Amino acid sequence: MPLGLTKRAFLRLAGLSIAPKVLPTWLSPALLRADTVGQRPGSRVIIVTFGGGVRYSETFAPEGLRNIPRLAAMRPQGYFFSSCSNQGVLSHFNSTASILTGNWQRVDDFGFQPPSGPTLFEYYRKTAKASAMDAWIIATNKSFATMGSSSDRAWGAPYGANVALPKQLLIDAVKEVVRKRPGDGVANRENVLQQLQGILSEGYEGVGWTIFKGGRELDQHVRETLTHALIDYINGPDTPASGDELTFFIAREVMREFAPRLMLVNFWDMDVAHWGSYSLYLQAVTRTDRLTGMLWDEVQSNPHYKDNTTVLVLPELGRDGDMNAANGFLNHRSGDASCRNMWMLAMGHGIQAGETDRPVHHIDVAATAAELLGVKTEGLAGQPAREIL
Amino acid sequence: MASTAPKLSPALDAMVERGLFNRLPVTFSTFFYDQIQEWDLLFPAEHNYYERLFGFLDRSHPAAVDRLFAGVREAERQLGVTDANWPKRTFTLQQVDFLNRSPHYPEWRKAIAEVFSQIDPVMDAEVSRHGRPRLAIVISPKDMPVGPDRLWTRIAKHGRRVAIDTPQDDSDYLPLLLTGQPSISHAPPLADLLAAHSGSPRYGAWCVETGAGLAAMSEHPGVVRMSYERLEDYRARLMREVQQVVDAGQIRGPRELGARLKQLKIGVDESELVQDAILAEFARATLLSGNGTLLINNTFVEWASIQAIRRARPVLAVISYGIRNKVKPFSSLLIYADQDKSTPIPTQGDMLGSYVDLEIFHQYIWQEFSKYAEYRGNTAFVFVAEGTDEMLAIGPPDFPLLSAGAPQRLDAVFASLKEWLAL
Repeated sequence: MPLGLTKRAFLRLAGLSIAPKVLPTWLSPALLRADTVGQRPGSRVIIVTFGGGVRYSETFAPEGLRNIPRLAAMRPQGYFFSSCSNQGVLSHFNSTASILTGNWQRVDDFGFQPPSGPTLFEYYRKTAKASAMDAWIIATNKSFATMGSSSDRAWGAPYGANVALPKQLLIDAVKEVVRKRPGDGVANRENVLQQLQGILSEGYEGVGWTIFKGGRELDQHVRETLTHALIDYINGPDTPASGDELTFFIAREVMREFAPRLMLVNFWDMDVAHWGSYSLYLQAVTRTDRLTGMLWDEVQSNPHYKDNTTVLVLPELGRDGDMNAANGFLNHRSGDASCRNMWMLAMGHGIQAGETDRPVHHIDVAATAAELLGVKTEGLAGQPAREIL
Repeated sequence: MASTAPKLSPALDAMVERGLFNRLPVTFSTFFYDQIQEWDLLFPAEHNYYERLFGFLDRSHPAAVDRLFAGVREAERQLGVTDANWPKRTFTLQQVDFLNRSPHYPEWRKAIAEVFSQIDPVMDAEVSRHGRPRLAIVISPKDMPVGPDRLWTRIAKHGRRVAIDTPQDDSDYLPLLLTGQPSISHAPPLADLLAAHSGSPRYGAWCVETGAGLAAMSEHPGVVRMSYERLEDYRARLMREVQQVVDAGQIRGPRELGARLKQLKIGVDESELVQDAILAEFARATLLSGNGTLLINNTFVEWASIQAIRRARPVLAVISYGIRNKVKPFSSLLIYADQDKSTPIPTQGDMLGSYVDLEIFHQYIWQEFSKYAEYRGNTAFVFVAEGTDEMLAIGPPDFPLLSAGAPQRLDAVFASLKEWLAL
């Protein structure tokens, strides 16, 4: 029995694994919906952020390319915006909220307030009458639990995205294992898996999940989907220490099971830079690069996404420069060019390979994605990036 | 402001009484007012700086001060600063948030930078008149996975690599460098010699290290010995208490957490630092000002050194790094958990990771010194890796090691450093 799974658990998990294979594909949830998108039927958008912040110098600067082999290889196939800047508040929540709303957000830095204006998810779901399973955020930071919808009463939660915070789930699981099993503890993957499953079955909302519920059946499906991803993660070939790897597995499983038309994947491991270890930060950057590449592979191989999906990859924010800053890469508060000036790589169907140094901004992402999805918006300060439309 | 004024120096107290702080823009004055609240916990160099800064403003003609701060006042108008959102005498994280979240924050930062671009030259000129030779010795551990030719690569162009005639007994490497004698002699290190020297400033000699080797060599009570290892009991308690605070769920965010952390002072049986209120508070602030200093030995050393340079302006800083541990699967997610207890996986050193970490820290430390007038043009730097046959020397042209020809014996290096400090 792999990893000492109990018979009951194994049968349950095996059932989960087999189910998609024996069901006819036309019964899959992604295809059970009406095609609800507006001007561009079938188009999908995935926004991938290097959350936590990464500098140009560790990515697309000449000396940084070695840290991002996958993105560097993808760049010639996509459209590269070499000047994409964050002119807003340099905190995680406000940066990502600006990307999603098309307006610079100046709300509470720690997620105690939702975005102040409608998010892309709300525009999309309301105007396209899209289902709750069509819009997802897979993120890490606990404060992002409120990222899925805005405080705008005309929009808000009924049109928001599902928010899944896999790393928070993992942290809670590990914490429980350490508490209950101080002896063998977290060195045993099975212990962690059992705890993860337990949390999913009993109290996943307590660790920051805001999965929309359409009844118990839907909950069950979501839960099974997430469990499947957890098994892949725990049993993976590498030491599963990274929250971002779990984020990837969950995102991939959500793509396979629900095929959302609009999704944000916010990787986060690189925020380990706050610990003051440059090597761990670089490792995280390279891991995010690899996972972003794997996400792109999934887009290319998943029939729901192949040939109809645009992937926009950009850092949430930068980090302080090495010169004249309080402590360089550790922080992102100086507001210097290293904090603000970044890049964006657009990949996908219909995008002509190319590059521009025309300045674009984080708030242009929502306007661009809205155009790609054929969604009408109002009051966005950002402008669509015509180069990829 | 006088009614709630903190205990200050007589000179600064008189300026507060004369209403100097009330005449300055509130975003400027409240920040500094907050900084001097715990006057007794500031280093002499900080006292000196604040007295000179506000002395300069107090002496200046009011019209000149108004001109100096005109940009800040305009930025405050744009920010929408009022008595309601920015009460006098108040500078908390709420005010920091207010600034950070304003679309006019960049203008305010620019205006503040403008003010200091005019003040700093005056202040720096005063400092330079009282300049003296200073020295920084930065030590990498002997387990570095590369040779010295691949060390200090970010800063090597600013100095000269000097060949070392290494001692036969490896264990004498640091004692010879720091005391001029083999370890068996138990000779006093440079830090002790400086602290004992007449005219040496209080808090002028610092040893900051991951281990306890420097502290073991030093006995003089005037030497600051800041050791990650020797703070282990305090660190362990801080991690437990921080975890309990977070687990209890009663803290709504960093503002409340910050207030709680302020109370977690060093205990009487946790470190000798408790005997000095300034150093005890320095250790608390260093360990709780960011996750990394509690968790990673080299981060502690780097950040403690940066803070010591910024705040205490030591004449001699001996900074010694170590090898940080590898991150453990799963349990490393619990950042405040004791990694030895939470998993049976043995702790392992990460040599390559430590090398990568230190390369950038060397640059940051070197840069930090250069920010302050006390160090410009009169500070020598010696970067060594224990056991290796090469070091990097950076300094003014008259720093003797820059002109060394033949490989240097470590006791000769010590003699050069001692001479540089005029001890």
